[in-house]
Amino acid sequence: MDSTSDKALMMKVKNGDLDKLGLLFERYNRPLYGFFYRMCKDCEVSEDLVQSVFERILKYRDTYTGNGTFTTWMFSIARNAHIDHYRKQKRKGITIEIDDEQLEQNNPDEIPVSNKQEKKDILERALEELEEEKREIIILSRYEGLKYKEIANLLDTTEGAIKVKMFRAMKELRDLVNVITKECSYE
Amino acid sequence: MNEKYEQLIADYLTGNLDQAGKDRVEKLIASSEIDFMEFRELEKLHDDLGTLPVPKPGTEMSANFYAMLENEKQAQKKPFTEKLKMLTKQWLHEITLPRVAYTTILLLIGGWGGAQLSGNQPELEQLSNEVQNMREMLMVNMLEGPSAAERLKAVNISSELPSADTEAIHALLFTLNNDPSVNVRVQTIEALKRWGNDERVRKGLVESIAGQQSAIVIIQLADAMIELELKNSAPELERLLEERELDYTVQQKLQSSIAVLM
Repeated sequence: MDSTSDKALMMKVKNGDLDKLGLLFERYNRPLYGFFYRMCKDCEVSEDLVQSVFERILKYRDTYTGNGTFTTWMFSIARNAHIDHYRKQKRKGITIEIDDEQLEQNNPDEIPVSNKQEKKDILERALEELEEEKREIIILSRYEGLKYKEIANLLDTTEGAIKVKMFRAMKELRDLVNVITKECSYE
Repeated sequence: MNEKYEQLIADYLTGNLDQAGKDRVEKLIASSEIDFMEFRELEKLHDDLGTLPVPKPGTEMSANFYAMLENEKQAQKKPFTEKLKMLTKQWLHEITLPRVAYTTILLLIGGWGGAQLSGNQPELEQLSNEVQNMREMLMVNMLEGPSAAERLKAVNISSELPSADTEAIHALLFTLNNDPSVNVRVQTIEALKRWGNDERVRKGLVESIAGQQSAIVIIQLADAMIELELKNSAPELERLLEERELDYTVQQKLQSSIAVLM
């Protein structure tokens, strides 16, 4: 095994060489941040959740077996951190709807900076409006580069089912983009 | 649409298909079993998704991680009774001398200033300078402390300073070149990057490359060189590549950094 591979580094962390977690942090803090940010659109929460993932990696390092890819293990921890966070928020009575600031950012009344920018805004808004489970599959595949098999392991389903879900999520996203574009052109 | 075709298109979108797979998609499009328009739309949408930006995380995230790691390392070194003592001490330590002194002085200055000034701009500026000087003093003292966690806190204090004077810069550069803790050194690079326009900081960062042994610190420095566009660091990085037996990840990182800087 390559001594700098994710698995090798994590095995070293497991065996007490905690400094190696620094290398894994440098490799994955941005992808994890991107995952959380695309899921919740909140910079502060995303940063807290990245911290929570690495705290959990440290806490549960003894349970790491090296089976499967490190990223699958890490993203399963990330998903749990994300779910736990919103469960806690719900218990506190805080709604998890998109905040006003976010809505303002996506307000079609705003004059678009450019046609290109407007298209990006529409796509971003469509992605936000997509059901969470579908959005998550697109994010994991398109942005985090996880293979369908790895996503299937994460979501405890089959590779074929994930491919079908990905295809249908993309179709729904396209439909949402078309609806929002129409709305914008009427206003 | 047939589920098999849906899976095939999903594979096409992520580039998972070999030539035979791609040929099959083309045939299905030619025979109208896959709708060409829909296929093109999804392909374009998949490409467009790549253009959506994501903001960078703040430097605090990295600071919090390394502080957490440092605490865990300290805790790992000590037996259970020691851990218990440490937790109590940690709590007590939070309210002891330097902090109490610092907080009291700040309160006194704040109270006195508030009473005296009532909107007097030059005096307000003077007061703000004094507070900054005190923060710097506290930071420099804490940087010399024996505990890595305290030194990390000191580095983080520097991020609250609006500007840096020579003493603060020297203290941070000294820490970068001499601190035994990798985590403290990594955080120091983050702290120094904030003053990346200062010529002393730029020079100090480049000079520090040759003396670093840790892979993580070298990688962080290489990133800083790119971020601050320190083109004169390329020869230093090249020398490191030639003279040291670095591990593969570091070699790759340095090569890519040199390519960007040249």
